[in-house]
Amino acid sequence: MAIDKLFKDDATEEKGERARMASFIGAMAIADLVKTTLGPKGMDKILQSTGRGHSVTVTNDGATILKSLHIDNPAAKVLVDISKVQDDEVGDGTTSVVVLAGELLREAEKLVAAKIHPMTIISGYRMAAECARNALSQKVMDNKEDAEKFKSDLMKIAMTTLSSKILSQDKEHFAKLAVDAVMRLKGSTNLESIQIIKKAGGSLKDSFLDEGFILDKKIGIGQPKRIENAKILVANTAMDTDKVKIYGARVRVDSMSRVAQIEGAEKEKMREKVQKIIGHGINCFVNRQLIYNFPEELFADAGVLAIEHADFDGIERLALVTGGEIASTFDNPESVKLGHCKLIEEIMIGEDKLIHFSGVEMGQACTIVLRGASFHVLDEAERSLHDALCVLSQTVIDSRVLLGGGWPEMVMAKEVDELARKTPGKKSHAIEAFSRALISIPTTIADNAGLDSAELIAQLRAEHHKEESHAGIDVISGSVGDMAELGISEAFKVKQAVLLSATEAAEMILRVDEIITCAPRRREDRM
Amino acid sequence: MAAPVATLARSSKTESYVDNKRKDDIRQANIVAARAVADAVRTSLGPKGMDKMISTASGEVIITNDGATILNKMEVLQPAAKMLVELSKSQDIVAGDGTTTVVVIAGALLKQCLSLLSHGIHPTIISDSLHKASIKAVDVLTAMAVPVELSDRESLIKSASTSLNSKVVSQYSTLLAPLAVDAVLSVVDPAKPDLVDLRDVKIVKKLGGTVDDTELVKGLVFDKKVSHSAGGPTRVENAKIAVIQFQISPPKTDIEQSIVVSDYTQMDRILKEERNYILGMIKKIKGTGCNVLLIQKSILRDAVTDLSLHYLAKAKILVIKDVERDEIEFITKTLNCLPIANIEHFRAEKLGFADCVEEVSLGDGKIVKITGIKDMGRTTTVLVRGSNQLVLDEAERSLHDALCVVRCLVNKRFLIAGGGAPEIELSRQLGAWAKVLQGMESYCVRSFAEALEVIPYTLAENAGLNPISIVTELRNRHAQGEINAGINVRKGQITNILEENVVQPLLVSTSAITLATECVRMILKIDDIVTVR
Repeated sequence: MAIDKLFKDDATEEKGERARMASFIGAMAIADLVKTTLGPKGMDKILQSTGRGHSVTVTNDGATILKSLHIDNPAAKVLVDISKVQDDEVGDGTTSVVVLAGELLREAEKLVAAKIHPMTIISGYRMAAECARNALSQKVMDNKEDAEKFKSDLMKIAMTTLSSKILSQDKEHFAKLAVDAVMRLKGSTNLESIQIIKKAGGSLKDSFLDEGFILDKKIGIGQPKRIENAKILVANTAMDTDKVKIYGARVRVDSMSRVAQIEGAEKEKMREKVQKIIGHGINCFVNRQLIYNFPEELFADAGVLAIEHADFDGIERLALVTGGEIASTFDNPESVKLGHCKLIEEIMIGEDKLIHFSGVEMGQACTIVLRGASFHVLDEAERSLHDALCVLSQTVIDSRVLLGGGWPEMVMAKEVDELARKTPGKKSHAIEAFSRALISIPTTIADNAGLDSAELIAQLRAEHHKEESHAGIDVISGSVGDMAELGISEAFKVKQAVLLSATEAAEMILRVDEIITCAPRRREDRM
Repeated sequence: MAAPVATLARSSKTESYVDNKRKDDIRQANIVAARAVADAVRTSLGPKGMDKMISTASGEVIITNDGATILNKMEVLQPAAKMLVELSKSQDIVAGDGTTTVVVIAGALLKQCLSLLSHGIHPTIISDSLHKASIKAVDVLTAMAVPVELSDRESLIKSASTSLNSKVVSQYSTLLAPLAVDAVLSVVDPAKPDLVDLRDVKIVKKLGGTVDDTELVKGLVFDKKVSHSAGGPTRVENAKIAVIQFQISPPKTDIEQSIVVSDYTQMDRILKEERNYILGMIKKIKGTGCNVLLIQKSILRDAVTDLSLHYLAKAKILVIKDVERDEIEFITKTLNCLPIANIEHFRAEKLGFADCVEEVSLGDGKIVKITGIKDMGRTTTVLVRGSNQLVLDEAERSLHDALCVVRCLVNKRFLIAGGGAPEIELSRQLGAWAKVLQGMESYCVRSFAEALEVIPYTLAENAGLNPISIVTELRNRHAQGEINAGINVRKGQITNILEENVVQPLLVSTSAITLATECVRMILKIDDIVTVR
């Protein structure tokens, strides 16, 4: 031993076989954890927080589960990351991507055990992934030209996405909501203009889509509750007092009447400010900060609807949809862009009063009001709906559509198998392994539904041997069915992203042959 | 779930082995925990249900019969049990009543699910079947319902008293039921007849007297004293009322300020100035003819000082101070006036008018009543009395339930029989429907039907009757077509429950069934508990 000690005291090092094993096991454990949530009959998980309040979340969304896990294993972290990226990029398929990556690694583990060099496996995987992608892009359907068909494609995709979530019972209702909302966007992927409001009470079916914008606030006392052709000024300004914000500023006076004068001057200042604001020719004023009683009364006197304490998110969105800008000074009325809308009124949802802005400038804006029995249901419904909205908005851009229910995986597996037969050398083992990993996705879907996966997959494979097969797993009847007839579709973009990022992640983990854990940064002892 | 999966798989020809032991354990644990919660509130169901005494961590004691309140205070930790607590809260939001019923139904459904699971039926199939059954159940209930008109005060009172009968205050139901009905009806806006905002009904609690003394006040009641410090008036007729949001006290600027006093004469002058300043304000107030002041509480400075109270008393102005900001909206709506935030804006047109404002002694405290308000807004106040704090709180909760019941009827104008009649009828019809269905679904729907019998069973049990003979007789009567036969707990026998005036709003029953099913389905679908940050 020439070098006695290479690392710091607490740093550890794992090499070669051990390192690879550690990362394989970590990654597979993560994949197995979320595996049971895959597919329309996937199960949910309770996430129990160890933090304060022991809050409970019930979810079926892979990304949400993975995001909140405590993870120490570096390879497992890679998988969590790809799931997160998938969530950001396309919004759906967050579970599939992790399951596929897990399966790829499981296969790779066997190959490594059979003395195949990781690099050979990697190059085999790469070829297979490329081949699978080509196979997919040949089989896509594109209905961009036909608006009617395209819309029905969107409906199908939305229903497929939602069928694995809590909303599955009312999927038609929600698919319609989501499609309508996305169609309003007219091609933009800016989901910010779709607002989701959650209100407990009622049932999921009572959820609705509303054109316009809903603000969960109250209108000030004594002010009009309904305004037509509203001109809205959105502001972020202090409406309590314009304080001199220099520390230690104070006023010295020598009599009570002076104090009264100063107080009067302060009030006067506020009045001026309010006058300036009203001088913009507005009839609705929305402020992010509090509006005190005094200015509130001034606004009421002027017949201006004033909304105080709108949260930051709320006013940014309001400014966006009404086409206004957030103002903080009011000296130049001409430079401030006002927002417009046709009608502002107070509406009641459940037990709460909300303010509804309809006929807003930005036509694509809309609000989805979710109703549900409890907060668990609402939160999960929001996540599910968000997934559907993401996928749909991506599909609007890239309108290529595939069938679902394990169909794409079978198509890919078939092509990859062909490739394996043609490829000479050790690589063909890796390619074959890739195809097995692909098939594991329909296998998992079948397993989760309590079906006999071995039998079903064999049938599926036979079906796919015929040309132009549309066979996939029909979970409801528990048999092989025609996916085109059942109307189960998925977006090409989602599948492609699942395929590519899973392969990449697997590749990255495979390359690892040493894990160095740095010594934890030592806390300075309290001085 | 190793065994169940195996049995299921065998039915689809070949074997498949999935190690699901852990999942099965978790599902079992969830169901057992949730059922424990349901069992805890079971005995409080029905008119002869018992109450629970809860002593909270802070040493406070609550005696209640209200499911939502009991569960809320239980502080359960197990996630599935927590979901049941949430369920009861949801029912409270939707219908306001039936918070115990919904939990008991959920508990019974879970019990059935446990046996279904042990038969090897996949949880998602159970879940889907339950959903279908609940939709069918709502249809059946709707078909049973009797429409009711808002003008039919009798029917409304009947349903409110059904709700009240299961509470501590049941002996006062003849008093409280009409009171609740009148309170809700008086806030219904003719322009929007389907909406009732219960925030327009204010409940003021005052210790002393008995529940008998509870009354509906057409006007406003403040649980506050008139300020007496300087012998001001305590009763004003033909009151002109101002709600002010500014303070009658020496001026204070927002910038830090200090008054520099350099000699004795200056001190005198300052005192005099202070007096003049306040006097000036009060003169302005008096100038508009105002004789009652409601002053909003202020945290920045004293709303009133002794000095200003003294002057106000001299000016014969009745003062109520420390009004919370949240209440301002309610007050201005009731008085049909506008709040005044600055002395400069103190004008006569912002005042509200009432025939009489007076301080009344009640028990050991005093309250202020404002009655005979001119152009009163659509609000109302209920003054609840009770001999001790526990009764008072429970009376308030019961009254809240009764108000909710009436509100449900305003929203959805249908009545349904009580006393377990709808549940047994549902059970019968769904049982018949199950025979038409095929496969697993039929099996699950039958279990759903059986689970619903828990309500009449528990009602009978809690009333000290023989549950088995009662339920079987009930079943028998329903089979013969008496769809309104229910348990008459008072007589201890089965009678036509509609004739006994035991009725409840349709909304309470339907939402109990749908919410309970939704919750059970959610619990069924869970297969793992993951600990997270």
